[in-house]
Amino acid sequence: MNKILSIFFGLILLASGNGFSQDLDELMNAEIKPTINFATATFKSTRIINGHSIEQMKKKQLDFRISHRFGTLNSGTYGLFGLDESHIHFSLEYGIKDWLMLGAGRASQNKTYDGFAKVRLLRQSSGTKFMPVHVSYFTSIEIMTLKFPERPVGTSNYFSSRLAFVNQLLIARKFNENLSVQLTPTFIHRNLVKTELDMNDIYALGIGTRYKLSKRLSLNAEYYYTFNPNAKSLEPRPYNALSVGVDIETGGHVFQIMLTNSQGMREGSFIPQTTGSWLDGDIHLGFNISRVFAFNKN
Amino acid sequence: MEIFIWDSIFPEFLRSIKINAMLKKLFILVLLVASVGAFGQGKFIAKNAYISFYSSTPMEDILGESNEAVTIMNAETGEIGFQALMTTFHFKRALMEEHFNENYMESAKFPKARFNGKIEGFSKDMLNAPVADIKITGKLNVHGVEKTITVPGTLGLENGQLVGTSKFKVTPENYGIAIPSLVRDKIGKEMEITVKATYLPFGQ
Repeated sequence: MNKILSIFFGLILLASGNGFSQDLDELMNAEIKPTINFATATFKSTRIINGHSIEQMKKKQLDFRISHRFGTLNSGTYGLFGLDESHIHFSLEYGIKDWLMLGAGRASQNKTYDGFAKVRLLRQSSGTKFMPVHVSYFTSIEIMTLKFPERPVGTSNYFSSRLAFVNQLLIARKFNENLSVQLTPTFIHRNLVKTELDMNDIYALGIGTRYKLSKRLSLNAEYYYTFNPNAKSLEPRPYNALSVGVDIETGGHVFQIMLTNSQGMREGSFIPQTTGSWLDGDIHLGFNISRVFAFNKN
Repeated sequence: MEIFIWDSIFPEFLRSIKINAMLKKLFILVLLVASVGAFGQGKFIAKNAYISFYSSTPMEDILGESNEAVTIMNAETGEIGFQALMTTFHFKRALMEEHFNENYMESAKFPKARFNGKIEGFSKDMLNAPVADIKITGKLNVHGVEKTITVPGTLGLENGQLVGTSKFKVTPENYGIAIPSLVRDKIGKEMEITVKATYLPFGQ
């Protein structure tokens, strides 16, 4: 009987004493609840290159952006490959909520002010909730403030003529750690256009992508196809906007350096009014600088 | 489950020791209790443990905090474990949080930080005594790299609750976390890790 009892205790000790750490690990694994894993950093910045990405400022974060586009590379040594000439756009962009971002900016091109709102509708996620894509809605108003040219007597200029409206649906997917792709159906309405050959309503589709080369460097490309471009007979002739660039991230800054055939930096400008041709060397060197400030306590 | 497995694997064994049915049942019962005990009793758990890491340089202070770490302590052996999902760490600056997950911890690849260790010179009395200094040695697994560390801490009753704390430093480079020279001025050489957990008996 004693023998039996000692086997007994031996077995009990064995049952309770083996692999405790493993046991603790299992218990903790069970306690860590499955979560929704939202895809983050689909793009490094709120812009892919010229156009908006689905990224936005989080609540109480302010982004100060300065962008430049130089003249065309084919201006040669006389124009120092475009560096003699420069257009600027700067803006302040703020996250009201994690899903709502507002911004206001000013472009030197046509002395244009712009105000925009970006609203997040869906977030890409895996884990306990599956959602294949990010979807955001972007809308902006652009106010051109160039002085109107002299008008014939008896006609007048209206403030409304200065306005253009942009509506975009941003649909993006981060396929893996490195590759993200965004489709951007766009509708732009311009109250007043230069000539009868210019379209008041423009329909376009943007495709943008980012490929991470390293943790802090990514390669971006962006193309906007216009379904009803301004008449080809216009001078200068309209082209679809094509840009390639890199994002360089350094802590609180993101530098974007790009080559693009459009000098405009707002949707109402680079989508309907790109007049440069890549094949002719009308390529602009440019950069965006983003600096983010946090205004939340704790 | 235990019973059936046992019965099917060791029927000859059980028959050979020629004990009556009552004793056999008792034997199985004891085994059952023992194995349940191994999975629950004598353990303390904290499901909302606090873990922070802090780095300070003249350029920038960085503070990431999680209140969702899970820790379990074995009151018999003094073994102690921690697990935390990297995505539960939050920062004042949204960009820091993004960089933390994307550039440094690579949270998609290495979602969890783990620590499995043992309190040195552990005795059960420590769980019913006022807060006292302890030392814990174990394996810290961060960013997929495992290192054995010994850290100071405290353990004991605080306002009638069993509380454990620890404060120690880790060097990110030791865990394969590269900090580029560009941001070297903003991120400290060492991170100060602070841990605080209020334990409850497991299963309550």
